[in-house]
Amino acid sequence: MKPLLKLTDVNSYYGKIHALKNINLEINEGEIVALLGSNGAGKSTTLKTISGLIKPKSGIIEWNAKSIVGVPAHKIVEAGIIHVPEGRRIFGGLTVTENLELGAFTFRKDKKWIKDGIERSFDLFPRLKERAKQLAGTLSGGEQQMVAISRGLMGNPKLLMLDEPSMGLAPIIVQEIMRIIQEINKQGTTILLIEQNAKAALRLANRGYLIEIGNIVMHDTAEVLREDDKIIKAYLGA
Amino acid sequence: MEIIFQILIDGLVIGAFYSLVALGYTMVYGIIKLLNFAHGDLYMMGAFIGFTFLSIFTGDGGVNTGLLGVGIVFIGTMVIVGLLGMGVERIAYRPLLLAPRLSILITAIGVSLSLEYTSMIGWGASYKVYPIILPNDGLQILGTQITFAQIGMILLSALLMLGLRLFIDKTIYGKAMRAIALDQTACSLMGVNVHQIIALTFFIGASLAAGAGIMSGIYYGTINFMMGFIIGLKAFTAAVLGGIGNITGAMLGGLVLGVIEAFGTFYFGGSWKDVLAFGILILFLVFKPTGILGAKEMERM
Repeated sequence: MKPLLKLTDVNSYYGKIHALKNINLEINEGEIVALLGSNGAGKSTTLKTISGLIKPKSGIIEWNAKSIVGVPAHKIVEAGIIHVPEGRRIFGGLTVTENLELGAFTFRKDKKWIKDGIERSFDLFPRLKERAKQLAGTLSGGEQQMVAISRGLMGNPKLLMLDEPSMGLAPIIVQEIMRIIQEINKQGTTILLIEQNAKAALRLANRGYLIEIGNIVMHDTAEVLREDDKIIKAYLGA
Repeated sequence: MEIIFQILIDGLVIGAFYSLVALGYTMVYGIIKLLNFAHGDLYMMGAFIGFTFLSIFTGDGGVNTGLLGVGIVFIGTMVIVGLLGMGVERIAYRPLLLAPRLSILITAIGVSLSLEYTSMIGWGASYKVYPIILPNDGLQILGTQITFAQIGMILLSALLMLGLRLFIDKTIYGKAMRAIALDQTACSLMGVNVHQIIALTFFIGASLAAGAGIMSGIYYGTINFMMGFIIGLKAFTAAVLGGIGNITGAMLGGLVLGVIEAFGTFYFGGSWKDVLAFGILILFLVFKPTGILGAKEMERM
């Protein structure tokens, strides 16, 4: 089976820092893949490189066997890869509904898609329905994350890349978010998940990659990674 | 009492011009944090291109062009100047989007001078008389004479501003503009072509300025290649007055400034008009830099 997304020997720079060193990574259709690593290891840079925010210095990124290196970020979205960035980055001065509408920008001519998509978002996160007309900046952290994920789904992704969706959230909210991620995956969306919370991520994922100072140092199925000494010591807590 | 009402009407007409120009200023500032000092010159370009169109229509005589003709002149000029505004953004500002703010500010002054002297070469340095004569009839309201032209200009300005407000609030492109003002990167991750939306912002801002340019040509009767300079500063004042980056603020700021100037002219004499306007600018910059509406709204657009 051909992978949906394939990175071959990708090198990216973050300013002058060589942030990604010969990264090789594959994601198959229908999977949840976790990208683990400490702060500054290059997790977010990997996502930014895939979504076109950072152009790699060298290497190949293939999406459905076609190169997407150098394609601008807004075109990557049209191709079906959607990146929900770290820190949520919702539009605080716009209402929840407006945020969702912008998520469907590539479907802007399809009024029915937008209407149905907003309904789907409210089914997924009923709490957002009460907040529909509220400015997104006034929402709690968990609700803002819900807006960020729903907004990502509005663009109909084949691959949804989530950068630390649990950051700064209460454990009970984290559980809910993780449950929803699984739900989204079951409905057919492939997921690339970055998490500080390795335990939660590996419970969800099929496979995982471990990245350290810009290098992929380990990749395996989630079961194997859960049992790995190094991972347990460094990321799961003794 | 009649005289106060008369001054108010005069002030509103001038204020409407200020508002239309201030809108472009404030939209561009809201979306890319640039004070586009060339914006007043797009107003001047509007006045001149409108002048040329009207001259063609009327054969350079004072023949009445008729409402339809004037309408075509307005739309044609606004589209052309809108494209000119987009061209300025594409050539002068886009390559500098990530450069330090000072570089792009100095570039704006360069663009301003380029437009002024292009106009001087094309149309000459002397004052041009606008080839349209307004009928002087109008209405008597509260003992005051208001001409139909004044009413028309206030109505047209109000219509343009209402249209803009609806565009920004209701359409997906307007929402994208507000979103870009908040977070450009997040917008491109939504599939928004940020450059395209910025270009659209310049188009709208420039065409509104062009509309104001033609109206002022008709209203004052003469135009000159330097006419954009002072109105650019006045529009900047209006934008700051209302809260820079704020659409409703720019509309309000323009009207308030126009009315204050009209009263200032009446009570202190015309030579104090600019002193009053820029005195207000300084007061606002010192004591309330967020303007009348700036602090209240979270969106900076």
